[in-house]
Amino acid sequence: MELYAEKITFKKKPISIPPEYRPSYTIGLIVLILKICCQSSKSSLLKLHLINWALKSTENKNSLKHFVLSNYTESSKTWGIEPSLNRALNYSVHEGICSISNGKYQLQEKGEIFYSKILENPEYLNEEIDFLNFLGKRKITDNRIDSIYKK
Amino acid sequence: MLKINNIKIVVNTNNGLFGAFHTFKSGLNIVRGDNTSGKSSLFQAIVYALGFEELIGGRFEKTMQSVLKDQVEYPKDSFHSVLQSFVLLEIENTNGDLITIRRFVQNPNRKSQLIDVYSGSLLANNSLESRPMFIHDNGGASDENYGFHLYLEEFLNWNLPKVLTNNGELRKIYIQQIASSFIIEQKSGWSDFFATMPIYGLNNKEARIVEFILDMDVYGNKMKKQELGISKRILENDWSNLSKRFERFSEKGGGKLAGLSQTPMIINNLEEINILLSKDETDHSISNYLDLIIVEFDTLAKVETVSVKDKIGDNEILIVKNEEKLNQISFDVEMISSELTFDKQKLSNFNYQLENLNEDLRKNKGAFKVQKMGAEIDLKVSGNNCPSCNQEINDSLLPLSVKQVPMRLDDNIDFLSAQIKMLQVNLESLESKIVSKDKKLKNLRGSQNNLRSQIRELKTELISDDRLPSIVDIEYILNLKKKIEFYSKYLEDFVELKDELSALSNKWKRILEDQEKLKKDTFSTNDISKLKLLSDNFKSLLSKFNYSSKTINDITISEENYLPLAKKPNDNLVYNIRFDSSASDFIRSIWAYTCSLYKTSIAKNGNHPNLLMFDEPKQQDLSINDFTNFLKELSTYTTAQTLLFASFENSDETFSKATTGIDFHLNYIDEKLIKPVV
Repeated sequence: MELYAEKITFKKKPISIPPEYRPSYTIGLIVLILKICCQSSKSSLLKLHLINWALKSTENKNSLKHFVLSNYTESSKTWGIEPSLNRALNYSVHEGICSISNGKYQLQEKGEIFYSKILENPEYLNEEIDFLNFLGKRKITDNRIDSIYKK
Repeated sequence: MLKINNIKIVVNTNNGLFGAFHTFKSGLNIVRGDNTSGKSSLFQAIVYALGFEELIGGRFEKTMQSVLKDQVEYPKDSFHSVLQSFVLLEIENTNGDLITIRRFVQNPNRKSQLIDVYSGSLLANNSLESRPMFIHDNGGASDENYGFHLYLEEFLNWNLPKVLTNNGELRKIYIQQIASSFIIEQKSGWSDFFATMPIYGLNNKEARIVEFILDMDVYGNKMKKQELGISKRILENDWSNLSKRFERFSEKGGGKLAGLSQTPMIINNLEEINILLSKDETDHSISNYLDLIIVEFDTLAKVETVSVKDKIGDNEILIVKNEEKLNQISFDVEMISSELTFDKQKLSNFNYQLENLNEDLRKNKGAFKVQKMGAEIDLKVSGNNCPSCNQEINDSLLPLSVKQVPMRLDDNIDFLSAQIKMLQVNLESLESKIVSKDKKLKNLRGSQNNLRSQIRELKTELISDDRLPSIVDIEYILNLKKKIEFYSKYLEDFVELKDELSALSNKWKRILEDQEKLKKDTFSTNDISKLKLLSDNFKSLLSKFNYSSKTINDITISEENYLPLAKKPNDNLVYNIRFDSSASDFIRSIWAYTCSLYKTSIAKNGNHPNLLMFDEPKQQDLSINDFTNFLKELSTYTTAQTLLFASFENSDETFSKATTGIDFHLNYIDEKLIKPVV
């Protein structure tokens, strides 16, 4: 085949990535989870992963909802752990959003400020916030997670 | 008023600190420097600091010369890599308020859409606090806390008008669009009036800018026009709804709609609109059709009924024919219904995709918001820096080993919106395809049933008593009677529908009349005198600069877009002045036009910022004489500030010849703009 171009160059274009891979977004979610779903704004890593996984899609949300509403008997769906959440957690620790004490993540003052900022004008985050409010502080506890985990 | 007091450029290189510093006064400032000395870099740095770099052709630091972002050459053939660089620009408004703007060109840790604004002169007081602001970002022109251009607008005491964009939205003029009327850049600025203006989907943009600069009343009338435009759109919508009702109505009667357009029009004769019903392969209007079937009914009712025996032969032929038709139709039904199933499957796939995309878009918008809030509480990650080591992270949580660059969030949002739009277009066309196929299928099934029942009747007739009258005939007559009843009612409904149409047509007529009236009296007396002055100024400057391509009297200013027009001698034809001017004369007309905008604004209290910037105005081998005239004219603008960048053919002689007897402040760029700072 005859080539008309003497030289072809390829250029890498920026790609579209899901918002869950944006640091500030995920940090925002962490703040929301800690504040809305955790007693004294403190949580284990596993719980953060579970709720973060649920927030990923409507399907996941429904699955967790189903689990809670079935009195914790029907956890049909396996759930996943996302390394990006660990990176976001590292960032938030260094930003002073939260700190680690006794292996648990504890929201700090800066995180509280961030939380109130987000709540000032949540428009696009309402769906997430509604779901977290449904979970509340008591529905998913570490013991509960341990029990699923061991099954 | 926008006055530029001084500019400082600071460049850190691997071989120490470099930079430049220039001050400017009121009146005419000449920045003289030989070609390649960096004159244009200075011009561009001013434009860049103001966030107007779209005038140079692009956005962000890529529009800057390499001396500010890659390497400094000093002295000749000795190169130093740029590590970091920024521009500090001190500007002043009418009240004498000072602000200093700092914008980085090269800084690995800062995005160039960030601008620091110091409220005061940083030169006089270097302990001033700065406020970060955004530029070119969504909301850069409107967000109260962060939009630099909104801030600049307030600083200049401008109240930028809202204008109608091409897609019908009301939106503010962008400040950088206005800037193209007083900043003339070297490379493309001399190619046309407002040549460097960014478009942003603005209708007749030159006109909007001139109206703003001269503060014309025409704007109020424009608003009325826009209101009219809105009622026009509402009517268009009503019209299209009504025309759809007409469509449905004609379908109900099994006819074809004739004479009605989809878009509004004045209907003088309502009779032109009709539904054509076909009988014996010719089309008839409803009333004619009705007459025809009434006549047919009457004649048939009179004729004695024919008995079965006489019809056997005919009936057999008819049955064969009908069965052939039926086969064909059944085949078509089969085909279309399978296509339809396929399309519907595709539709549900598309809808699923659309749902996912919408969800993604919502989340992205949320992420964008959160990122902004993060910036408000100084999260380093919101500025794309690592909180512990300050290195740039590319706004993603992907492992560093993934060497993909993600889109910026706002680009990502645009990207998703575009995808959604595309999908919606696809969905719409698919839906309409499905609707039309459904309709076709329904029709086919209807005729299938008809044919079947006809065949059945014919067959029953064949086996019935051959002395009885033909059932087919009797049925036909009964049907005819039903048809007559149906179409009489149909005709009445049709007249009602037409009444509605005539009301809309009258409304449409009134809108067109109003529009015509507005066209006539758009300009107030004030506006007319402003335009007259603009045109007078323009003409007198043209002759001052020795414009010679056309007789000055044959030149006018357009009332449409306020750009200069030339008239053909002995003819009423007018056209853009550009087409009939020599290249050098066109440069003269850009000089004259830019100056006359300022002069007219000053005389009539307009909104001109009283700043004029020209980069290398001596284009196209213009004679020194005319250039001197231009400089002379500019030097009389003592209430304004003019920054004129020129090389004077790299010659001292030309320079002294061109500037003899002219008052000005000289900024001489000796050798190179960017030099080591001692």
